[in-house]
Amino acid sequence: MKDNIVIIGGGIAGMEAAHQLLLLGYKPILVEKSDHLGGHVADWHKLFPDMSPAKDAVRDLAEKIKEANIFLETEVSFINRLKNGYNVMFTNGVNVICKAILLATGFELFEASKKEEYGYGIYNQVMTNSDLERWFNTRKDKRLDGKDIRKVGFVHCVGSRDIKAGNPQCSKVCCITAIKQAMEVKEFFPDAEVYCFYMDLRLFGKKYEDFYIKAQMESGVHFIRGRVSEVSENINGQVIVKTEDTLSGKPAKITLDLLVLMSGIVCNQQAVKTASMVQVQTDSDGFLKSKDNILNIIETGSKGVFLAGTATGPKTVPETVAEARAAALAIHNYLVSLQ
Amino acid sequence: MGRLYDELCKDYRFKEGLKTCINCGTCTAICPAAEFYRYDPRKIVDTVQRKDDAEIEALLKSDTIWYCGECMSCVTRCPRKNGPGLVIMALRNLSIKMGYFTESEKGRQIYPLTKALNGNVLNYGYCVHPATFAYSDHPESGPVFEWVLNNKEDVYGRLGANYQGKGPGVLRHIPQEDLDELKAIYDVTGGTERLELVEKYSKAKAEEMGMSIEEYTAYTFNHISPGHFNNEQ
Amino acid sequence: MIYKGKQKIWSDYQKDIPDDHWFYVRSCIRQSFFPASEKYFLKICRDLLGKDVYETEHHTTCGGIAYHSDTIPQETAMTIVARQFALMKEAGYKNLVTSCITSFGNYTEIIETWREFPELEAKIRENLWKACRREFDIPEYVAHASDLIFKFRDEIGSMAKYHLVDGITGEPLRVVEHIGCHYSKMFPHKGFGGAEYPCVLSGMIDSWGGQVIDYPERRHCCGFGFRQYLVKANRGYSVSNTHKKFESMEPYHPDMIITNCPGCPYFLDRWQYVISEMEGKTYGQNGYGIPVFTYEEVAGLVLGFDPWDLGLQIHQVAVEPLLEKIGIPYNPKTKYLGLDGKEIMKPGLPTVLKCC
Repeated sequence: MKDNIVIIGGGIAGMEAAHQLLLLGYKPILVEKSDHLGGHVADWHKLFPDMSPAKDAVRDLAEKIKEANIFLETEVSFINRLKNGYNVMFTNGVNVICKAILLATGFELFEASKKEEYGYGIYNQVMTNSDLERWFNTRKDKRLDGKDIRKVGFVHCVGSRDIKAGNPQCSKVCCITAIKQAMEVKEFFPDAEVYCFYMDLRLFGKKYEDFYIKAQMESGVHFIRGRVSEVSENINGQVIVKTEDTLSGKPAKITLDLLVLMSGIVCNQQAVKTASMVQVQTDSDGFLKSKDNILNIIETGSKGVFLAGTATGPKTVPETVAEARAAALAIHNYLVSLQ
Repeated sequence: MGRLYDELCKDYRFKEGLKTCINCGTCTAICPAAEFYRYDPRKIVDTVQRKDDAEIEALLKSDTIWYCGECMSCVTRCPRKNGPGLVIMALRNLSIKMGYFTESEKGRQIYPLTKALNGNVLNYGYCVHPATFAYSDHPESGPVFEWVLNNKEDVYGRLGANYQGKGPGVLRHIPQEDLDELKAIYDVTGGTERLELVEKYSKAKAEEMGMSIEEYTAYTFNHISPGHFNNEQ
Repeated sequence: MIYKGKQKIWSDYQKDIPDDHWFYVRSCIRQSFFPASEKYFLKICRDLLGKDVYETEHHTTCGGIAYHSDTIPQETAMTIVARQFALMKEAGYKNLVTSCITSFGNYTEIIETWREFPELEAKIRENLWKACRREFDIPEYVAHASDLIFKFRDEIGSMAKYHLVDGITGEPLRVVEHIGCHYSKMFPHKGFGGAEYPCVLSGMIDSWGGQVIDYPERRHCCGFGFRQYLVKANRGYSVSNTHKKFESMEPYHPDMIITNCPGCPYFLDRWQYVISEMEGKTYGQNGYGIPVFTYEEVAGLVLGFDPWDLGLQIHQVAVEPLLEKIGIPYNPKTKYLGLDGKEIMKPGLPTVLKCC
């Protein structure tokens, strides 16, 4: 009888880890608080760099973990440390004794309404990257349906690189997402003028610069180097954005029909509570603390507790998958070492 | 680090105002002065951050640092918790201390400002007072206020002021012992020294420009050269 | 506009203002240009609300205007403020209420700076002792006078004779509220509603029946700019900023403007006159301007005090069209009388802006 492994979080990290552990002969328990697997990715439309459909990625992974014990709409209510493992209690009444726990609890999007000067939840035509991605899937949002969208703006770094917003870190994937979404918006509204308001363009990944080139050459997206300072609304319901075009050194005011806020990635607050049940703290950037930030991101200071995915910080999907595989192997090696 | 930069670091407004700037432009975006004047708070903070004394000296002698209206809108928005408006106050303070303020047209205005405001504080206990508010210096205050100034006792009296009277109330006469305390504060804290310094540098500049001090006061108060505004050719 | 979004922000920035026993310090500009406002603030607090608001004749300016015009060193400004605190301690008060917004910002900034740099506070204590043998305590609470009126807005509303509505149709008046920059831009948590959507004035307007207008340049500075106004050569900056605000609010056809800073109503009022002279343009109905009020004046109006006792006759932009719209009676004959009903010569009229 193989040891029990509890994976907390049914997103990409949890699913891929479960997949690898199944291949290694384990039957991991995967617990997910929402009613579906796939985490945030399940809500997305297309994934960079190849514009692969997010639904396919989630569906393929879900296929591969059919044999795992999956508890949906279930949370962890309590974890007790035992002499040789953990006693985990779930909200569905199930009680499990396990030797290893994987915290694959993922991230939360920065609550854009906290950035009051951007008017999310106050001015009608302001939405977030998440709202827009949902619209790509559902094509239902009163900010876009039936509207004459001629000018669209993307605000980079909302809740990122912002000490006042409580998150000085960069959220890594918003720049590429903004460019991706800007090009997708252009496909739906080919005559629209699309602007990206950025401080720096962080396009570090595989084929990301191609996106940037394509956005400039083919989609005609305008890139303005200046952080948006204030958003207001005119009498026609359009949003007015104030920024500085820092490359020409002049303040600029632009009227738009739609404004998309690139909300950043912050640590899932519920995860922090769950992690503390196994004495895993947060690092100075608010994410769950790894044993070592260079050579050992997937281990924690607590025996038998592992990390994978955006629980430790912003990541792309391929990076999450790679970490999940590493965590699965590390869990396997750990369990072997106990024998 | 340069001498001027080190001096700036001693100013508490500089300590509060400059942490680290990433040149995002949020301050300039919202700055009322940047819209109308040839002014960019981001560039100023970036220059100071470079700690180059020659560049800082040039700033202190230029019109640029005098365009800010100290509204502090920049403080609200900066993602790195800087305050360009506070940095400006520190730069202005240093420019005055070093006597560089007389090198620029806007800087020279410190003379009529310093005289008028401190005269009011030390003589009337308030920075602004109808007794010294001349309509000819403020035609924008309008015909109604001209009437108010011509009928001060009647208008202020009717509105319940205790105009230059004893005891508490609007526009009361501040007892001399309180004005003396203010003067003592100026003496102890370098305020009087500042007034004398401004006087000294301004007198020297007036002489250099071939004006009497009265002519210089009126000139710096009234004169504006072309080239300050964005919308000029 | 999604009103609920604003309400949520307001709930994040609430201040717990003490109920009573305030030490009042006057404003340089409000005394000079809106003298009756200070009188009525005290009257409302003391006589109508039964509060203890104390004023000593020995207090002075906080030096804020001199400080922000860069004419005094920071230490001088801080020591002047320390003296005000010493007077407050001497009188036995712990709560400071300021008439001026720059003062409020100044006191708040100085206290915060001392908190961060205790050695500076120690230096100022030494200065104050050397200069005038006084000692001070840091106030337990610093509020602006508009905070108090905001706190008691419902009590005032319940005593109100008039409301901010059209007297005939009952439609709420369209009110622009303008908050002084130094109220919450430096320390958003020190202002009701924070820096982006302050509610200190919109709360009053809501309580007294009006409708708040949001327009794109609502948060923009009125353009006082200290030296940018005080020196004649610089006034282009000041009028340009006010002009920007009026151009932005014009499509919304506001009936009135209410402000809490003493300088802002002066500028929003007088620059309308100047713009009319320079460009022939007016922003009110039929060649009038949009009347600009201090919150004390609005409180006094809704409570039924005589408009001329409230000092509205010394505004440049005429208030009569608004008084008529609300249905507040006024006597044109007593408008420009002097002390004890004395007949004095009336002011001249502008060439473009319609005045009464």
